[in-house]
Amino acid sequence: MVRFKNRYVLCEVVSEDPRCRQCIEDRAVGLAVRDAVGRVHGDYGLACCSISFTVKYLNAYTGTVLLRCRKDSYRLLCSALPFVRQLESRNQRYPCSLNTLHVGGTIRTCQKFLIQYNRRQLLMLLQNCTNEEERRCIQKSLLSCSLTEEHSQSGDEEDDDGPE
Amino acid sequence: MSGAREKKRAKKMRNQPASVTLPAEPGPFPGGGSRACPPSGDVRSEQQYQQQKFSNQSSGPSYRKDQYFPKGQNRGERGRGRGGWQGGRVSEEMPKYITVSTFAQARAAEINAMLKAVAQKSSNSLVFQTLPRHMRRRAMSHNIKRLPRRLQEIARKEKKEQSKTKCRKARRRHINLVAEFNRRQRKNIWLETHIWHAKRFHMVKKWGYCLGDSPTEKSYRACYRAMTKHCLLQDLSYYCCLELTGKENELLKQLARICSIDTGLTFEEACCLSGRFEGSLNLYRADRYPEDMLGPITFIWKPRDGSENRQLWIWMHPALKQDMLRELKAVFQCSEPEEIYIPEPITTTIQEEKQVDVVLSLGKKRKKEDKEGEKAVPVKKIIGDGTRDPFQSYSWISQTTGIVISDRTMEILRYRLIGPLSHSVLTETLKAASLQTEVADSETELNNWWVENCKDSEKVSLHQRQSAIFELLEGMSSPSEMPPGTILGLTVGDPRVNLPKKKTKAMPDFEKYQDNDKVRQLYLEGVPVDCAHSFIWDQDICKNVTENKISEQDLNHMRAQLLVPGSHLDLGPCESKIPILLVQQPGKMAGEDRPGWGSGWDIYLPKGWGMAFWIPFIYRGVRVGGLQEALKHSEYQRTPHAPNDFPDCQAGMQFAKELETSLLEKFKRRPPAKRANYVKLGTLSPFVCPWGQLTKNWEGRMKASGEFVHPSSPHPELCATEGHSFCDSKAEVVKEASPETGEVEETMEIISSEGVLKTEDVIGAQEFGERDETMTTSDFIVLRSEKLLMQLSAWCYPTAGKDRRLRLISRLGQKEMTEDVFLPILMSYPRALVWVNLSLLRKGNPELHAMICIPAEDDLVHLSKDKLFCGPQEPKHRDIFKHKVQKLKEEKKKKKKDNTKALESDPPSVPDKKTTEEHEDLILGLWSDALPDITSHCSRTLLGYVTRGDFSLAAGCGEALGFVSLTGLLYMLYNQPADKKGLVLLRTPASLQYRFARLNIEV
Repeated sequence: MVRFKNRYVLCEVVSEDPRCRQCIEDRAVGLAVRDAVGRVHGDYGLACCSISFTVKYLNAYTGTVLLRCRKDSYRLLCSALPFVRQLESRNQRYPCSLNTLHVGGTIRTCQKFLIQYNRRQLLMLLQNCTNEEERRCIQKSLLSCSLTEEHSQSGDEEDDDGPE
Repeated sequence: MSGAREKKRAKKMRNQPASVTLPAEPGPFPGGGSRACPPSGDVRSEQQYQQQKFSNQSSGPSYRKDQYFPKGQNRGERGRGRGGWQGGRVSEEMPKYITVSTFAQARAAEINAMLKAVAQKSSNSLVFQTLPRHMRRRAMSHNIKRLPRRLQEIARKEKKEQSKTKCRKARRRHINLVAEFNRRQRKNIWLETHIWHAKRFHMVKKWGYCLGDSPTEKSYRACYRAMTKHCLLQDLSYYCCLELTGKENELLKQLARICSIDTGLTFEEACCLSGRFEGSLNLYRADRYPEDMLGPITFIWKPRDGSENRQLWIWMHPALKQDMLRELKAVFQCSEPEEIYIPEPITTTIQEEKQVDVVLSLGKKRKKEDKEGEKAVPVKKIIGDGTRDPFQSYSWISQTTGIVISDRTMEILRYRLIGPLSHSVLTETLKAASLQTEVADSETELNNWWVENCKDSEKVSLHQRQSAIFELLEGMSSPSEMPPGTILGLTVGDPRVNLPKKKTKAMPDFEKYQDNDKVRQLYLEGVPVDCAHSFIWDQDICKNVTENKISEQDLNHMRAQLLVPGSHLDLGPCESKIPILLVQQPGKMAGEDRPGWGSGWDIYLPKGWGMAFWIPFIYRGVRVGGLQEALKHSEYQRTPHAPNDFPDCQAGMQFAKELETSLLEKFKRRPPAKRANYVKLGTLSPFVCPWGQLTKNWEGRMKASGEFVHPSSPHPELCATEGHSFCDSKAEVVKEASPETGEVEETMEIISSEGVLKTEDVIGAQEFGERDETMTTSDFIVLRSEKLLMQLSAWCYPTAGKDRRLRLISRLGQKEMTEDVFLPILMSYPRALVWVNLSLLRKGNPELHAMICIPAEDDLVHLSKDKLFCGPQEPKHRDIFKHKVQKLKEEKKKKKKDNTKALESDPPSVPDKKTTEEHEDLILGLWSDALPDITSHCSRTLLGYVTRGDFSLAAGCGEALGFVSLTGLLYMLYNQPADKKGLVLLRTPASLQYRFARLNIEV
């Protein structure tokens, strides 16, 4: 079967201002990226990137954003991402930048990468922590994430058994 | 399809993480509403996640607000967890432990969500298909252990799912097949020919049965040809039979209450009462004639056999059964179920089990291997009604009179053969049973009743007479030559024995009977009374016959063992004898053209023998029809068909309602631009006929014109004359207003000179006034009084020359149309409908729910002048609902936009559905208010509606059947010139073109 091939760009919103988090939502991010592409590559580039461009996933708490575009034009998109300077939403704008973490062919690989990346971050945090309380906290959350995974899997099975 | 696909997608997307944004509403955190949670996702973990968040954020001290967010509390609160996403950099400015913990928890939650998404298998493929190529092994799907161990668990689950259904071979194994069929019969009753029909017909579920609607092959015209030239077979076993048993006078006394002599036959009709003929009549609620119609029935009395008790079969359509049964029970006061019949089903079940045991011993080997062998023991083909509760009684007895009503639905099969050659099919298929004096096998009960019977010489001679008459039937050219409703009882041998090798068309051999006096005698005298006797009336014999049927398998086995293959199989004494009843169907009796068209024979069989008779009939070249063909048959006969054409009985109303919803659904399925705008076309109700409103409006018109000399009406000049005519005060006025010829005036004078009549009229009018108040409760009635219909029919005739009409009238013994005659009719039936048939004069093809209208005078003039004039056009109406609908649409659009906007800015706001749903029923092109005066809505006055219309293959022009308002009809006939009587206009709902048609009432 033939399908349209896409590229998924996983990036991270970096901002000095913590209030910027409230701007992290589908529309704002999408507009900002589009705007950047338009500025950098002009109408042609914007049109290329706009085909099937969407924000597939974002997390305001961690600042993660997953963008999708066609495989043909992902270079245009990636090259424009550093030019995103601010996010605007509800008449408030906050300066920020996008940090590309990963470019993948499927959502699944991006998710896998995100897991790995987050783990690494947590471990780094664990290494760098200075006081005992902090260490305990991080360890707890680290453990919690691996624990809940098994939980969720078992829950999955129950769900599967239910309707059948 | 799409539903399944969506479900699949939902299952797939269930574990995918949804985007997480900050709560939008400033202020204390709203509980979870702001975050777009995955709808079916793992709610538990999400909540956990959120709770963690809340606890962390709310636990934070408030100092930061002062430091960084002097503007407002809200922001400060929101910003509290900000360290979460840029841990190190911002961390100098705040106590570290909080930042770190939120940071870590946010990550951990995300990891969780992602893990969940990744761990789930995303594709639709099986587990072993997702393995990389190098890990694949042969026969992996079969042997789970070839899979890597981590996948074995999942694969096991998948495999279990697949093995749920048995393989086709197992499913088609006879015992499993029968069990499956029995299961499917529990909900809807299957006829015995169901499987045969299901392979060749579009099946519909109707009235609790599975019935063949029409053949899948192209056979519209072929079925018509079979009806007119050869023979069309139809399985009517779904018709319900109620059996009444009791003393004759007791039965008749009560039955007289539910029918009326006015409508023709009653149960007391002498020739029917003797059991010689079948009768058909319309039933009404007890003492309520002419209101509260129950429906049409046919009935057969069992011939007198010396005993005091008589048996009566009442056959009816299943849609009418419940009402009739209730009414009969009420009339005869049969409330309690009869106890004698309760043990009956139990004994039959025991016998069934016994039989099954025999079957089991034959096929034990296989049964033992089968895991469910023990369970599958009571598998037996259902004969009769599969939905019946075996422990519930289906007969009721009256304590006072001893009358028993029993429901014998599906106990007796009924096939209908339509067409001139149907009796040659019958005579070829059926052979009268041979006499038998010895029991073939003393163990079984096979034929023991017949042997008993053959010992009685009187009965033997009766059987011989019956079979002689049956043989003579072949000499008839058409069943219509017999007196209508003739009954012939018969006992026949097994029809499977003399099955022809090839399908052949049964043709009569007239030469054999050319100079046969006996045939002529049969013509003249019909079948004598005693020949109507049949053993099918005896329930015990029927049961015996049903149970002792030789199975198809055994029969084929015996055929195989014949010395000369293909020779005639002689079963000798083992051959079953089956009592049957043949009833002639009269076909078209009313009207002048095609007399006797569609006549045929009904054959009544004991249950269980359905297929044994069906296949031999098929082998005689009959064509089989379904419900549609039956409808066409009655359409060409111009008789009303139950329950479609009985708008005044419950089943008819139900039918109309269902038809309306289905038509409306069909209408809505079209794209709006391709729909007919019925408002513009001036069609007020394209999907249903508003009979009540029609009769009410006509009544109102009549009253208005009676009271006021110049009523407001589209035809003032016509109404004025009508107004005069309704004022029955002065004869001179009548004379002036009467457009009739001089002769009529003469007769009128004669009548009006008799003052007695007038006073009678006045009294009648007074009575009518009283009655009117009581009548307002019931909506309308359908006129079925034969006398009145005859009169109307005579009035409808056009008179090219006066003599013809006069001759006709004198022949029918009718009076000329004057208001002295029709006023009492109007008074006594202010809200009546009349069943009419219409045949189009020139072009045009009438459709369902076409409108019957009164032509204006100009139309008639134009028609006589112009030979190519097809009919006037209705001027286009204005769609007064258009702007309303459009406004609504715009509002909806606006709201939608608002909603989407609101959704963008404010996710938790719920779209207010109430306002949009309020006007849901306003559809462009349909009249959405209460109907105005429907008679005067269009340029031509509305008279009635067509309930069935099509191009008639029999007449060669468009023909329609329908109802018109009696008041309207009289009004029209009175005002029409003599040579144009009965001319009306027809207009189909989706057209503006009127077509001329001739209106007829056939009695």
